[in-house]
Amino acid sequence: MKYVRQVATVTMKDLRAELRTKEAINASLAFALMILLLFSYTFDPEQEMMRQVSGGLLWIVFAFAGTLTLNRSFARELPNDCLDALIAAPIPGSALFLGKCFASFVLVLAVELVSLPVFGIFYRVHWTPQFPALFGVLLLGTWALTIIGTIFSALTVNIKLREVMLPMLTYPILMPALMSAMRLTTSLVNGQPIPEDDFAWLKMLVGFDVVFTAVSLVLVETVLVG
Amino acid sequence: MLSALFDSSVWTALAAAGVAAIASILFLRSRNFLYDSLALATTEIGLVLLAAGIVAGAIAGRLAGGFWWTWDSRLTTALVGVLLYAPYLMLRRAIEEPTRRAASAAVVSIFALFDVPLIALAVNWWLARRTVPAPFSAGWMILPVAILGAALAWMRLRQEQQRRAQDAERRTAQEI
Repeated sequence: MKYVRQVATVTMKDLRAELRTKEAINASLAFALMILLLFSYTFDPEQEMMRQVSGGLLWIVFAFAGTLTLNRSFARELPNDCLDALIAAPIPGSALFLGKCFASFVLVLAVELVSLPVFGIFYRVHWTPQFPALFGVLLLGTWALTIIGTIFSALTVNIKLREVMLPMLTYPILMPALMSAMRLTTSLVNGQPIPEDDFAWLKMLVGFDVVFTAVSLVLVETVLVG
Repeated sequence: MLSALFDSSVWTALAAAGVAAIASILFLRSRNFLYDSLALATTEIGLVLLAAGIVAGAIAGRLAGGFWWTWDSRLTTALVGVLLYAPYLMLRRAIEEPTRRAASAAVVSIFALFDVPLIALAVNWWLARRTVPAPFSAGWMILPVAILGAALAWMRLRQEQQRRAQDAERRTAQEI
């Protein structure tokens, strides 16, 4: 119970700080809309091909825009030595880490839920009929994005090349999760249920989430303290 | 022949990744910098082998089908492997403080090893519709490649240990 309260405190603190400054979410949202617009120049949005690549496009948008938010997750604590105070606070490192994960999760999901209808309108994709299943895939994929993004955000927070290193480290590791999410999303945004053949991808996505949540929780003290 | 060379390099690189991850775990437990040097040496040699393997695979593809790059699942997995492990070396260059550098690098190495089977599986599924995975063709070739890899890693480990000893002496001399 105490642990849950500690996690919730960190999450609420992060969300409150973000809602006051809106520095990450505004940038992330603007960036997402920008990429959605840029895609329309690379191919004809009104063609049938659009249906086959829609899942991939959507997750490229989410992964790129999400990194902007995740970059801020720990970097936000650098001014006034807030990070040292947080690490010295009488809570376990894993509670701090999970709290930050949940805060980033909410922010990234918010950006996704705004870009999804825009994507639907721009590219005439019928995402509404399968929305419950699509929302499930969004939750799983976003959790993969935030857990890896947050742990590496903590790892790179003190180095000079922070903004460059984070995507370099996270995208290759995220590849299996992104591939699963892209595959599952492609059929769902076209209004079809997940085909029988693709259940293996769902297992892959769930497995990725479980494995890397566990590995992150084991290694988080090392990451934070060194 | 080239295909066997490719397979041997990839499997040796996989073994190197395993050794690097185990050395990283041992470093985090013992804080003995010998393990950090070992992880660095094996990762570097693993990357060299992967790169050599990709070149061999590309030439094999060119000779067999006329294309430098075929989206073959093993070749693609090897490429993702390079992208996975190259940031390990970049991260090491970006951190000055030795303990911090070694601990951060160890974390990356452990994450990467957990990711390798997932990537191999995912790439295989993704490309299964288009290509039939070729059978394992390393054969006897894996023996010389593995011995070469081990020898290179051993040389690199000795060199790294020597460099660190020199650094330590220089620092002591400066203090005096």
